[in-house]
Amino acid sequence: MMDSGWLVILPHISLAAGGILIFCAGAFMRRRASDIIPVLAFASAACAGVSSAWIDPGGPGFLGMLDSGGFSRFFAVIFSLITLMTLVFSHHYARDRGFAGDEFYGVLLFAALGMILVAGASHWLIFFLGLELLSLSLYVLIAARKNDPASNEAALKYFVMGSVAGGFLTFGIAVLYAVTGRMDISAGLGSTMTADNRAGLLLGLSLVMVGIGFKISLVPFHLWTPDVYQGAPAPVTAFLSTGSKVAVFAALLRFSLCSHEAVWAYMAPLFWGLAALTMIVGNVTALAQTHLKRLLAYSSIAQMGYVLMALLAVKHGGASAVVFYLAVYALMDLGAFGAVAVLSGEDRERDDLEDYRGMGYVHPWRAGLLAVCLFSLAGLPPTAGFIGKFVLFHAAIQAGYVALALVGILAAIVSVYYYLRVMGILYMRTGECGIVPRTGILGDGAGMMILALLLLLGIVPSPLLTAISNIVSSLSH
Amino acid sequence: MTVSHGEVIMLGAVLFFMGAVCAVSRRNLIMILIGVEVMLNAAGIALTGASLYWNALDGQAFVLFIMAFAAAEVAVGLALIVYSQRRTSSVNADTYNLMKG
Repeated sequence: MMDSGWLVILPHISLAAGGILIFCAGAFMRRRASDIIPVLAFASAACAGVSSAWIDPGGPGFLGMLDSGGFSRFFAVIFSLITLMTLVFSHHYARDRGFAGDEFYGVLLFAALGMILVAGASHWLIFFLGLELLSLSLYVLIAARKNDPASNEAALKYFVMGSVAGGFLTFGIAVLYAVTGRMDISAGLGSTMTADNRAGLLLGLSLVMVGIGFKISLVPFHLWTPDVYQGAPAPVTAFLSTGSKVAVFAALLRFSLCSHEAVWAYMAPLFWGLAALTMIVGNVTALAQTHLKRLLAYSSIAQMGYVLMALLAVKHGGASAVVFYLAVYALMDLGAFGAVAVLSGEDRERDDLEDYRGMGYVHPWRAGLLAVCLFSLAGLPPTAGFIGKFVLFHAAIQAGYVALALVGILAAIVSVYYYLRVMGILYMRTGECGIVPRTGILGDGAGMMILALLLLLGIVPSPLLTAISNIVSSLSH
Repeated sequence: MTVSHGEVIMLGAVLFFMGAVCAVSRRNLIMILIGVEVMLNAAGIALTGASLYWNALDGQAFVLFIMAFAAAEVAVGLALIVYSQRRTSSVNADTYNLMKG
């Protein structure tokens, strides 16, 4: 088993080595560091993506603690792409605002490493370490703009609530270990429920769910989301809203797939309630927002509600719908917050909705990226968001959750209003929004790539859907 | 006298409850941080007790990682709190209301 060990952690080594090299470059080569560091970060994220896409280690590594199947490799590729896009979006943004030091790039790579660990963990220890590595890195990244009070306050809020949620999660893992005696996730959650261990299993699972619900901002635990998204630098918000949520949701999907039927019978009603609440509260609160980043924050809360709805269908083949939507969601939110980053002026964030008035005529391409992402988040054809929503609702209805799907469809109809309101501000009226300087060929290229992928997946989704259903079917046993 | 694993786990549960109440009810940032540390160490105690019961070492290995993580979390958290305290000269969580939430 140990012989495949090194191949399994090739992407992890690439990211960790990149992070350490960047810190060394920051410490020892003061003068030329600012040229080398972004290149190093880009190269190590690209290496991680390539090695997880093309090198099949052939079996789980490190005594079965780290999964290396198609599921975790697929998510490793997604996280590498998210990291590359974030690096591209933050390159000019960070330099103009004076936080493009080694700590920003190094910690970004460590956060990516945490995501890959969370999505690939088949052992509670790896899950814990990955999640906390991700959280600690995000606290630092959110506070990256040292002279910005909003950035500092956002990091403090995320830290206080995140560390409390982390405490609940850790104790939940301890309780699960106490009742099942297994640190292996699938063996522990797959153990049969008896009268003796029922209370312990349910207590442990609900404590773990507090931690997970916080990370993916399900409704009773979502209060941090708008403040943190608003205060964090826009590229970091793109990274935070896509990477950390997709990673934790991938782990939740793994837990749900390997949990025993008896355990699942208790979890399903809980997920039902959380999904309904999240969809309703997220979409209704978004209606009243006047800041673009807060509006996108509530929209991302609601999106997680839709995915949680399809997670209920996981025992009836809904897993591939969840994975497909997670990939599409990562693209949409990355594009939306990336557009906020490239549309922001040099001094401050362009945040108030009124600042975007008539932007569609001043900067047609960058505003077009925002518009297509909003279209896709609203679930309108011909974008990938439409196909994603379609497979989600299809999976939920197939599994018999018709009432919940109806709630979701009503919430989605309400959501179209606020997405279209932003579109109206972008295109319907002309106003004097200041001209934004160019942000370099790389940022434009990444935006165009996201735009093209969203439209491509909206028109020909079947290759990705087939690939995902193959990946998921290999995971369920 | 020997202590049974059940009592160790009960101690962990009581400590966790105390830590959670401290973290949730206090408004002082330092006290919240202390509450979180108590919660993490309670998880460590429960893991040690469970490890004794199952006669396996993986629970106790987990505790070592929790200790390392708790140290890292305090380092990041105190840095953030000290920096915020310099800016607003307050460690009360309610003074941080720049953004409505």
